[in-house]
Amino acid sequence: MAHIRKAEITSPIVTLGGESTSRVLPVLLVVAVACIGAAFFFGGAFKDTGRAAFMHSYLVSYMFFLSITLGCIFFVMIQHLTKAGWSVTVRRVAEIMGCAIFPMAILFIPILLSVLGGDTSLYTWVKEPADGAPEWAVGDQRIFDIKSTFLNPTWFGIRAVVYFTIWTFIAFRLYTWSVKQDETGDKKISLKSQAYCAPLMLGFVLSLAFAAFDWEMSLAPMWFSTMFPVYIFAGCVLSSLATILLVCLLLQKTGRITDEITIEHYHDLAKLCFAFIFFWGYIAFSQFMLIWYANIPEETFWYRFRFEGGWILFSLVLLFGHLFIPFLGMMARTVRRNKTYLLFAAIFLLAMHWVDHYWIVMPQLNASVYEGYFSSGEPITKTEYVQYPGFIDLLLFVGMGALFVASFCLVSGNRALVPLKDPRLHEALNYDNP
Amino acid sequence: MAITVDNLTNNTFEDPSRRAPLITGGLDNDGVTEVVADLAESPSPPKIWWVLLGVSAALTAMLGSLILLLIFKGVGVWGNNNPVYWGWPIVNFVFWVGIGHAGTLISAILFLFRQHWRTSINRAAEAMTIFAVICAGMFPGIHIGRVWVFYWLFPIPSEHLAMWPNFRSPLLWDVFAVSTYFTVSLLFWYMGMVPDLATFRDRSTSKIKKFMYGLFSLGWSGSARHWHRYEVAYTILAALATPLVLSVHTIVSFDFAVSIIPGWHTTIFPPYFVAGAIFSGFAMVVTLLVPMRALFNLKHVITVRHIENMNKIIMVTGMMVGLAYTIEFFIAWYSSNPFELFAFQNRAFGPFWWAYLAMFTCNVFIPQLFWFKKIRTSMIMSVIVGIGVNIGMWFERFVIVMTLNRGFLPSSWSYFRPTWVDIGMFVGSFGLFMFLFLLFCRFLPVIAISEVKGTLAFQKHMALAGGYSDEPDH
Amino acid sequence: MNNEADNIEQQKLIGVLGQFDDSHTLMHACEALRDSGVKKMDAYTPYPVHGIEKAIGIPRTILPWIVLAVASGGLCIGLGMQWYTNATEQLLPFWSGYEFRISGKPMFSLPANIPVTFEVIVLSSAFAAFLGMLVLNGLPRLANPLHRIPRFKRVTNDKFFLMVDADDDQFNLDQLKNNFSDWGASDVEDVFLDQTDWKLPAFLKTVAVLLLVLMLVPPALVFRARGMTYTGTRLHVVPDMDWQVKFKTQTEGPLANNDTKTEFFFKDIRAQFAPLPGTVSRSDQSGDVEFFKGIQQGSDLHSSHGTPAVLASNQENEPQEEQPATTDAAVDEPNWVTKIPSQVKVDKDTVLRGQRQYDIYCAVCHGYSGEGNGLANNRAVALSVSGEASWTEAKSLYDPTVIDQPVGRIYDTITNGRSTMGPYATRIKPEDRWAIVLYVKALQKTRKDAVTAEADKPADASDDKN
Repeated sequence: MAHIRKAEITSPIVTLGGESTSRVLPVLLVVAVACIGAAFFFGGAFKDTGRAAFMHSYLVSYMFFLSITLGCIFFVMIQHLTKAGWSVTVRRVAEIMGCAIFPMAILFIPILLSVLGGDTSLYTWVKEPADGAPEWAVGDQRIFDIKSTFLNPTWFGIRAVVYFTIWTFIAFRLYTWSVKQDETGDKKISLKSQAYCAPLMLGFVLSLAFAAFDWEMSLAPMWFSTMFPVYIFAGCVLSSLATILLVCLLLQKTGRITDEITIEHYHDLAKLCFAFIFFWGYIAFSQFMLIWYANIPEETFWYRFRFEGGWILFSLVLLFGHLFIPFLGMMARTVRRNKTYLLFAAIFLLAMHWVDHYWIVMPQLNASVYEGYFSSGEPITKTEYVQYPGFIDLLLFVGMGALFVASFCLVSGNRALVPLKDPRLHEALNYDNP
Repeated sequence: MAITVDNLTNNTFEDPSRRAPLITGGLDNDGVTEVVADLAESPSPPKIWWVLLGVSAALTAMLGSLILLLIFKGVGVWGNNNPVYWGWPIVNFVFWVGIGHAGTLISAILFLFRQHWRTSINRAAEAMTIFAVICAGMFPGIHIGRVWVFYWLFPIPSEHLAMWPNFRSPLLWDVFAVSTYFTVSLLFWYMGMVPDLATFRDRSTSKIKKFMYGLFSLGWSGSARHWHRYEVAYTILAALATPLVLSVHTIVSFDFAVSIIPGWHTTIFPPYFVAGAIFSGFAMVVTLLVPMRALFNLKHVITVRHIENMNKIIMVTGMMVGLAYTIEFFIAWYSSNPFELFAFQNRAFGPFWWAYLAMFTCNVFIPQLFWFKKIRTSMIMSVIVGIGVNIGMWFERFVIVMTLNRGFLPSSWSYFRPTWVDIGMFVGSFGLFMFLFLLFCRFLPVIAISEVKGTLAFQKHMALAGGYSDEPDH
Repeated sequence: MNNEADNIEQQKLIGVLGQFDDSHTLMHACEALRDSGVKKMDAYTPYPVHGIEKAIGIPRTILPWIVLAVASGGLCIGLGMQWYTNATEQLLPFWSGYEFRISGKPMFSLPANIPVTFEVIVLSSAFAAFLGMLVLNGLPRLANPLHRIPRFKRVTNDKFFLMVDADDDQFNLDQLKNNFSDWGASDVEDVFLDQTDWKLPAFLKTVAVLLLVLMLVPPALVFRARGMTYTGTRLHVVPDMDWQVKFKTQTEGPLANNDTKTEFFFKDIRAQFAPLPGTVSRSDQSGDVEFFKGIQQGSDLHSSHGTPAVLASNQENEPQEEQPATTDAAVDEPNWVTKIPSQVKVDKDTVLRGQRQYDIYCAVCHGYSGEGNGLANNRAVALSVSGEASWTEAKSLYDPTVIDQPVGRIYDTITNGRSTMGPYATRIKPEDRWAIVLYVKALQKTRKDAVTAEADKPADASDDKN
């Protein structure tokens, strides 16, 4: 009969450790401030000419890290709701990363300020004209009347506050309860978390959907797709799974929580990644195919932007790199149980996820120029309007990443990286994949 | 030597530190076999079985004659007309196909998620899928007009037609999707039944039964080497069936979404339809299993916990459907496309407002009852909500198709009325479904016996690890 | 011995079978046997026991690779089938594809072909998994000697069995029997292969021969038919609407007498004959050429552009020449009327009616203002510039060439179309067509600079207006 492990923590190191945190944390914060600050200055955030490119780059990296955070929050909620036992030992890592929602709220401030301040470099709908209908509403008053009821700075700001309130509440509520359970082992905490997650999930999903509309769909204010929130959701879940994989692998490499997270957990996380690679592909394809098939210009222009003018390269990279290659690569059982391979796969998936958000956001930078070409009827020649990622993108990515890692260290502090007394701990330690 | 698991009957307690026993009543391996085989081995099935068989046989006969009427007289016997060219047949098709999806989800997706409670219900659910897909496939099969040239739907060279099917058409994708779905579900169902048919073979006394069960169990001997390949094949089929479930109802949704009709052309249709399919499918499984477990003495294998879990899934998928409604309304307004907005307003306040009200009430409000544990562990309420959900989901497809009644050309606007043939065929399809299901109950193993035994063994193992207990909660 | 065979010589010992009452004792036995080097053994269980593969030493199956290979084949078949049937023609000498031109989609529409490809992959993989599993397992295997052992019937219920093959290197019957009892087996048996099982019943040979002979009959009939000519009525399996009870145009009319089949009911044996003398047509357009065709009485009836008009015969006509207004072939055009025909009242109501009809039928290309900036025209021009369509731009009504056209010519353009403009004869009544002509002239009059010097000549139609 298979060996039964007792429900107790046996790893020598279970926390991040105070000394290493106190050494690493200031470095991370300095790097974060330096990189983001440098990006602001050299990216032209304070000049009128370069601001649009900078704001778009900012939004790309921002959405990348936000989607990981939101995906981790979702992961924690769904494990509670389904009373999952296998994931108990990896859940704490996800909880900690979910708490990065607080620095993400702070990082949102530049975007919020630019919108409230009437800056149209990111969202063209921000400025309300003195009279008549603006250009972004194709000069149609009726369209403008409807859209501006939703797309206006005041309501944008109010909604953003609501979203972050909901997300911060969920993340910190679940984390603090989980940490409390480390001391008492109280079963009621698990029951409470489970009960709260049900209604909170409603709020989470609605806020995620409308955040997707607000922050990424409204970049093209005339475009709409009911599938868009689902598409963003798929990306959130996939990137958070890859990040949880990555973080667990890295933590174990440093000798922490070596006994509690087994190859079975990696196998399961890899299986979930595989499933969501397919799910992402299915959602992305459905959205594309429906718009392609009906061929209605008021919808297809969004995709035309991303297939012409040189952007086709990014679309192909996404198709092959985000769907085909990882799908084939993560199919085999042996692959899913090989830690080196999984480390590489997680990094690859995250890189592709960044390309995904780049592909959503960046083509809107030169949108007005494309539109001119569409009505003239001439095909857009290759590589004329593509915007390749540059140094500013790198700076912003590194800066925000450093802040993300710093948040991990700060939130985790001296607390355990696995739930110490979760009632389902024995399940996490005692299952295996056949 | 009996391996007692548990003696209690209410396994719906909530205790995070241990899992509720899934097989109650102190049943062991032998007990499980006895309970399940009893239905097929008893000299005569319960009286209620005969009554229901008679009724469903009559309804099936009515369906058959109506189909003959349709083939001889033509599609005009239905209510399909300008402007609602797609009437009840497409609604019924989507309705039945949607119901079928729950079976595959229970078999495949819950298997991949290692949800052990699925083993008591997956066989009946898979059977329900097969029969639902039969009922579903019948409708597009007979609505093509010239039914005798149905083979033109397939890529078979035909001198008479001198051309090939149009692979760009979602109606043709339907042909492939539903055929594949039927075949794969059948394979999955049959493969799951092979060990259980062997059980029946080894217990049967009459020569005919021994021969039939022996033939279809393929000589299964329970060899561990065979089990190994069997389990790998099962996992592969489950991994294939999962995207298949998604794809089939996605392709059905494409029937509507690839058009340019406002209210139909919206990109969220694929996952919205899939969620709706699972929603209605689980409701139908609950509606079937609650009476089944009571009438056929299966209460210790299909426990209240199983029904409660299914009710929770009904609630979740119902909320996904509600979310899709919300997003659709919002985008219809946000798009500032007056036709899109009109389509939604017309659904709610136009001539078919009553259908919309039924849909909304049954799909969004009624499942909210399941927030209360008392209701979701009550068998009567489960059936009532299940029936309500199925009614609501039929109306949802009806409301979608009725979008046609207020098209772009106001001179064509008119009110759709079904004919008695429409209604008769729909009622008859329930008869066909019931008929096949009753035959299944009598002749085939209604519960996956070998899988339930696996669950028993798993529970034992987890009990040793501290996860299960023979003691009820205090 | 529980075996039913009488003849001991026909039985061969093929192994020893131990029965266990639970999976734990079974697993211990398996592990012990494995450790002692036994390879040819197998366990029999009512359900798959967790961890038994390792306990016995069963290697992982190659089934997933088989499925992957078949799936790749399915992908090629799915895509290839769609490409061949919908995007090629006459590629092979038989079963040619048929290129569908549907709503402007590319011939090989990859996004539209994905759903079917996916289904084909899933279908082929599912068959591969199921059939592969059966083949690798050697199933169906209906003649298993184990099934002859009555105790073995419990294997599908609640008992566990372990069999060691007699041809394993470590096989030692007595030692194994002792070991089994030590390991907690509740029963041990010898397994015999009854070789009478493998003898086919004699009658089967006769049946097989008979079947083979019968199977030759259909091909023989086919070959016989291929070498003959069939003189009977052709089989028409699917009648469709091939024989309709109606008369077609160039056929014979109804018979007077069905028996003789020679006499016809009507004197005129045609099914469709000319209207009888005295018949009054409801919309006889042959009479008033000026009103119905816009051509002057007495001049040629050919009114379409492009067809040479025969004018020479009629000398009474006022010679009314003008340059062909369009860029098509410079042919002789008929004499167009220059005045609105008398049946049309030239008043404000007619102009307003003309405006209404113009807005419905003409404005979509020619624009509400008549400048040729209608929505459809704009779109078509954009498409033709990008090469996706071919289109002749809708003329502005103030174009000098149009100003110069006589009203009959304008009427003809509406009736029969011109270039990419289609004919509107079936959609607009002649009265309304003249009303539109009147409205067009009214529009032209609003632009003084577009009107040429000729507009002020008394011969022009503008004199007719109020």
